[in-house]
Amino acid sequence: MPYLWLKAVHVAAVLLFIGGLFAQTFALAAAQRGDAATTAPLARWDRLVTVPAMLLVWVTGATIAVEAGWFTSPWLWAKLAFVLALTGLHGIQSGKLRRLRGGDLPSSPISVLRVAGFIAAAIASIAVLVVAKPF
Amino acid sequence: MPQAPRMQQPAPSPAAAEERAQIRRLRLASFVEATTLLVLVFVAVPLKHLFDYPLAVRLMGPVHGAAFVAYAWSLVTTVSGGGWSRGEIARLGLAAFIPFGGFLNAGLLRRKRAALAAPTGARA
Repeated sequence: MPYLWLKAVHVAAVLLFIGGLFAQTFALAAAQRGDAATTAPLARWDRLVTVPAMLLVWVTGATIAVEAGWFTSPWLWAKLAFVLALTGLHGIQSGKLRRLRGGDLPSSPISVLRVAGFIAAAIASIAVLVVAKPF
Repeated sequence: MPQAPRMQQPAPSPAAAEERAQIRRLRLASFVEATTLLVLVFVAVPLKHLFDYPLAVRLMGPVHGAAFVAYAWSLVTTVSGGGWSRGEIARLGLAAFIPFGGFLNAGLLRRKRAALAAPTGARA
C-alpha cells in the first residue's frame, strides 16, 4: 500500500481509537456513580469500532515504521511507550466497565479528570514525537 | 410410561455470561497468537535462513505482531474484570512468549469458563 494511504488509514484509526478511549473514560465515571446499565451501548461501540481501530493503529503503525526504517530512532520508542500505555489503559477500563455492569461495586474509583488528562498529554506527546522527531 | 421430569439448568446471570464470552475471546486470541508464533518460528524463519526466502518472515512478522497485540489486550481486559490470581495472570502472560505456550492456556481457560457456569457462580 502506498505510504500516503497507509498514513491516512493510520491517522483515521488513531482518531477513532482516541475518541473511543475518551468516551470509555467518561462512561466508566458514570458507571462508578451507579449508572452502569447505560454504558451497554458504549460496550457494543467499543467491540465494533474502538478495538478494531486500536488493532489497525498497531498494524499500520508497525508497517509504516518498518518501511521507513524508524525502529532505530529513539523518538519512535518513546512514542511506542505512550501507545502501549494507552492500549493498556483501554484494556483495564474495559475490564472495569464489564465488572461494574455485572453489579460489582468499584473497588478503587478512578479520577476521570486525571485519566482524561493523561490521555490528552499522551496524545499531545505522540503528535510532537511523530511530527517533529526531536531525537 | 411416565417420563421423569427433566432437570432445568439455571440460566447464567448476564454478568457471568459476559465473563464467559470474554474468556472465549481470550481463548481464541491465545490460539491465534500461538499458531502464528509457530508458523513464524518453524516455517517462516527456516525458509528465510535455509532457503533464502525472506518473504515469509516479512509476511508473518506483522501478522504475528497483530496477533500478539490482540492477545495482550484481551489478557489485560479479561483479568481487569477480576477473579484471577497473580499466578494465573503470570502464566497467561508468559505463554505468549513460548512456542506452544498459547495452546497450554486452553485447559486453564476452559476451567475458568466452567466455574462461571457452575450454579453457585463460584470462580476457580
